[in-house]
Amino acid sequence: MSLPPATPQLLRYRALGGPRLGPWQGVKAIARSSLQLLARRKLFWVLYAFSVMIFLFYFFGQYLMVFLEQRVNDAMVRTGGVFGRTIRPEFVTKMLRDALHMDGSADTYGDFMWTEGYIAMVILAFAGSIMVGNDFQHNSLPFYLSKPISRRHYLFGKAVAVAAVVNLMITIPALALFVEYGFIDTWDYYVDSARLLFGILAYGAALTVTLSLLLLVTATWLKRTVPLVMVWTTVFVLCRLIHRWLVDQLGMSPQWRLIDIWNNMYLFGQWCFGKEHHLLRPTNQVQPPYWQATAVMVAVCVACVLYLRKRVRAVEIIH
Amino acid sequence: MGQLVPNSGLSTRDSGLPPVLLFEQVSKWYGPVIGLNQVTLELRGGITGLVGANGAGKSTLLRLATGQLRPSLGRVTIRGIDAWDWRAKAKVGYCPDNDAFYEDMAGREFVRSMARLCGFERAEADRRTEAVLDRVGMADRANRKLGGYSKGMRQRIKLAQALLHDPELLVLDEPLSGIDPLGRQEMLELFRGLAAQGKCLLVSSHELEELEKLTDHVAILARGRIAAVGTVTQIRDMLDDQPLSIRIDAADPRRLAALLVNRPDVVGVDLDPAVLGDGAAGTLVVRARNPRRFFEDFGRLVLSERLDVARLEPLDESAHAVLGYLLGGSGRT
Repeated sequence: MSLPPATPQLLRYRALGGPRLGPWQGVKAIARSSLQLLARRKLFWVLYAFSVMIFLFYFFGQYLMVFLEQRVNDAMVRTGGVFGRTIRPEFVTKMLRDALHMDGSADTYGDFMWTEGYIAMVILAFAGSIMVGNDFQHNSLPFYLSKPISRRHYLFGKAVAVAAVVNLMITIPALALFVEYGFIDTWDYYVDSARLLFGILAYGAALTVTLSLLLLVTATWLKRTVPLVMVWTTVFVLCRLIHRWLVDQLGMSPQWRLIDIWNNMYLFGQWCFGKEHHLLRPTNQVQPPYWQATAVMVAVCVACVLYLRKRVRAVEIIH
Repeated sequence: MGQLVPNSGLSTRDSGLPPVLLFEQVSKWYGPVIGLNQVTLELRGGITGLVGANGAGKSTLLRLATGQLRPSLGRVTIRGIDAWDWRAKAKVGYCPDNDAFYEDMAGREFVRSMARLCGFERAEADRRTEAVLDRVGMADRANRKLGGYSKGMRQRIKLAQALLHDPELLVLDEPLSGIDPLGRQEMLELFRGLAAQGKCLLVSSHELEELEKLTDHVAILARGRIAAVGTVTQIRDMLDDQPLSIRIDAADPRRLAALLVNRPDVVGVDLDPAVLGDGAAGTLVVRARNPRRFFEDFGRLVLSERLDVARLEPLDESAHAVLGYLLGGSGRT
């Protein structure tokens, strides 16, 4: 028996209901969409692959050093592969410890985070316009700001996206190296080197906060990629060259190094790692005191916050 | 020019609630330039058109209504909540005039990300995305990248993201721009449907003919002030200094002109074919000061004098003409 045909009904707009979370849910959405935009760029994946290679280099470098120290008793070992040759294990161990600092020390994590930080900085220089600048450049802000969030949430969402990139490339791999070294060395390493764990987290937090704020400020100010890259090059490369020339070549006060925000973050990181100031490498470069570098870093962050506060209040945020 | 009608209450259903949108003596300065000047406006439902010349303050008013700007003076509230507050924004849907999207994103992806931005969980966001895409007729085309969309498709996607959170107030800035005639009809039906469901729509448009098809209730902005709010006819009737022009086709226009010229509300009668154009031999144009009283008087005159009148048509009762009078210009927006 066939059923009678259903009574035709006019299509009607069904009122939408359902739970809606607060504006902090919007922060997650902004961060997620920013990261999605970044992930669409091939350049990001190229640089990220480079960052992963550096991590793997440190990861296996640490493993090799501990392996050679603890497991290899032979006077000479022969390496495999096409270019196999006979080497002394002490030579490799000395190179890994003294030259590359892959010994689970403050230098290991300091160098690793410094190097990875530079790659993150390059990614952010190119990604700034994609993640933030384009919203201002192409006037996409009304879409965001007419939704149930405030400008504060918008900026916080963007900062979370930057923080995710920074921590994915720097802090989390550094923590992975820390965990790895405890596994391959001794369990006591975790207890004895708790200060290093604090240093990783603090240095990572400093990089996260400072880079996020700097990116938001430069991207909301300059909007486009080329000027943004030029300003970041000035801040992170030119300032470095200038302070080296002033201090190392002209013999001026080491306080001139404070103009290099990247160096200031490095000094803060070494402070958190518990590194003695006079042991800072390279030892022939006199560095300003830790507290001064930290004070300048904090001042830069405060200036960025004040600028952003002014920016979000200004009419110009909506062109 | 002062305000002719201070506010408009269209719905009686929610009279116990605060107005959907309320501007209270709102002024907004951009440095030394004033964008809005002591605007008072109250909307409780239905569709209201917002018209005005470039620079009149339409965009400022819309941004204040959607909580994107804060007033320098006065207060803007949505159902009694400060429009700047996120709780108020949850009641407002905004369809901006510009379509600056992430061109690499698919339409569906963009709408879904906007749903998440509204604070909905993934499943709810997906459900709402599909509902609004279906509603604006984009469900089958939403997987294409936004960069490849036509102007009309972009408009629909903008409208879809504005409808996501089922807002009480829908603010539409040039919603019909770039949409083909068939699509316009669909959009107009959609807007009427939303209004019928109790939504309050504030529509800014340069296309007055389209706006008149949608609503006859308009708010006219001029030089940062609300020049008038109400139906076009109401506003037209209040323009005492601008006599209404009425075209009358009659069998004996000269006799009719002679009768009309003595009426108290008639300020002029034109019989000149050069003015009326070719083929207007039986036509005259009357300029009357008080249109309502004139029409009543004219009806009595036709009956008493047994006049043969074939056509009676107000010539400048359109929103375009009214806007032109109010702005003291051509009415171009």
